[in-house]
Amino acid sequence: MNTILGLGFILLAGLFSGRLINKIRFPAVTAYLLLGLFIGPSLLRLVPAEVLGVSGLISNIVLGMIAFGIGYNFSKDNFRKIGKSVIWISVLEACGAWALVTLVFLFILGQPFYVSLLFGAIASATAPAATVMVIRESRAKGTFTDTLLGVVAIDDAWCLIIFAISLAISKAIFIHNVAAISLIRVLLNSLLSIFGAFILGAISAILLSYLSKFVRTPAELLIFTLGFILLNTGIAIRIHLSVLLANMFLGAILVNINYSSFKFFDSLKTIDSPLFLLFFVLAGASLEIQILSKLGMIGLAYLIVRITGKLIGAHLGARISNAVDSVRKYLGLGLVPQAGVALGCALIAKSDFPGVGNMILTTIVATTIVYEVIGPVCTKLALKKAGEITA
Amino acid sequence: MQVKEVMSKDVITVKCSTRLEELLKKFNKFHIFPLVPVIEEDGRLVGIVSFRNLISVFQPPYPEILKTIPFLDEGEEDIFKAGLTQDLGNLVVVDDIMETKFISIQEGDSLEEAYKLMKLHLKEEFPVVDRDNKLVGMIGIFDIIQEIFHQKGVI
Repeated sequence: MNTILGLGFILLAGLFSGRLINKIRFPAVTAYLLLGLFIGPSLLRLVPAEVLGVSGLISNIVLGMIAFGIGYNFSKDNFRKIGKSVIWISVLEACGAWALVTLVFLFILGQPFYVSLLFGAIASATAPAATVMVIRESRAKGTFTDTLLGVVAIDDAWCLIIFAISLAISKAIFIHNVAAISLIRVLLNSLLSIFGAFILGAISAILLSYLSKFVRTPAELLIFTLGFILLNTGIAIRIHLSVLLANMFLGAILVNINYSSFKFFDSLKTIDSPLFLLFFVLAGASLEIQILSKLGMIGLAYLIVRITGKLIGAHLGARISNAVDSVRKYLGLGLVPQAGVALGCALIAKSDFPGVGNMILTTIVATTIVYEVIGPVCTKLALKKAGEITA
Repeated sequence: MQVKEVMSKDVITVKCSTRLEELLKKFNKFHIFPLVPVIEEDGRLVGIVSFRNLISVFQPPYPEILKTIPFLDEGEEDIFKAGLTQDLGNLVVVDDIMETKFISIQEGDSLEEAYKLMKLHLKEEFPVVDRDNKLVGMIGIFDIIQEIFHQKGVI
């Protein structure tokens, strides 16, 4: 099978498997991952090597687009609307999963610090799409539903920041050897990397906003926006800054300096679906079944500890912000799904840490499939317990 | 030529508190549902309602913040099977369905600028505002074409 044939096959098979799985009330993402797993090198070997070869390229483009979209949420207007409960709960559930997974992996599973830190950072992500799907279907409404939607919408932004810090620390430890460097230097390096991403994102946003006056048609707008995201991504890779943060800052700054910035985000929506589909199928294809059997304990621990961290963090956040009783008790349960952002972070870990990267990615792909199956059930249970299901 | 010289000044507007029932009654004699500006008491433009927003009545509401979420499976809402309650016309107000992120045009802008924006955003009309963001009219692609025909002596 040649590359073009392979891509065509993936797109069509993905489309129909997504529709099929929607019928049994699961998010399309689960179908894409399973499809990737079945046609990937571990099982049917239907994906040509050339297609697997472009998966890194597709991942970087998709991650740039995802991060750009996440940045869009950082408008002053949105922050005014979402309220302190959502901020507290989202920050603490993300940090709760990060800290607990890191500690358990380090002290109980005996994993190296940099590996534990990466697992912890990836654990902070959630999957808003799955949560929104359940809320839509069950026609849930009320304070609990609003808080849950706010938390899942903003959580991935915290994940990107947490992952950027963790990645910088892990790289410093991995490359320079842990004993040789001081903690302060590592932290300084990671702060510098975040600041660099901010400067790059800011310059790109200002240029994009200024030059957009020359754009005349919707087709030009799409080319222009995508061109800037690729440029920003490429420069970030070139000067060793976080691709995710650089694009998140590009989106966040753009939304606050350009009154009609929504047009850039809307134009990307016209092409993102096939790219997202490819991204998930190829992520599924990268799951290595032979490693899976050795990962039993790590996978199981990740599954349980991530949820525990989120439950504790969400509960704490709800207490601090004096949220209503149902939010305190059940919100954490609505944060179980994990998908795109976690996979994206795992793919970055794979490319930056060739040795352990495969193990991290396989664990995240496998647990994502599990979370995407049990996640919607947990979210529905949380909504039911909160008494906000109307259908 | 400036937008204010060509725009329609007689515009039907609604308020955030206008009920769905009133909104639909207001336009039930129209062939199509137009772009309706939403204004505050002092005339400031705060939103727009189009037929797309009417379709959103059939879907469960969710905040604007979710519009940028990646991988969201587009909900296929079957409007023929939607379970709408009879009191919906009184329960839903314009504020629940209106679009708050939209393009408006300044009354002093040129017709060329207005036409360029219409092409860029694939829209056929825009609300027109003054410097204080108060609604002063509407400009449509037909107004611009008519003006060109007029200038060329066709009409």
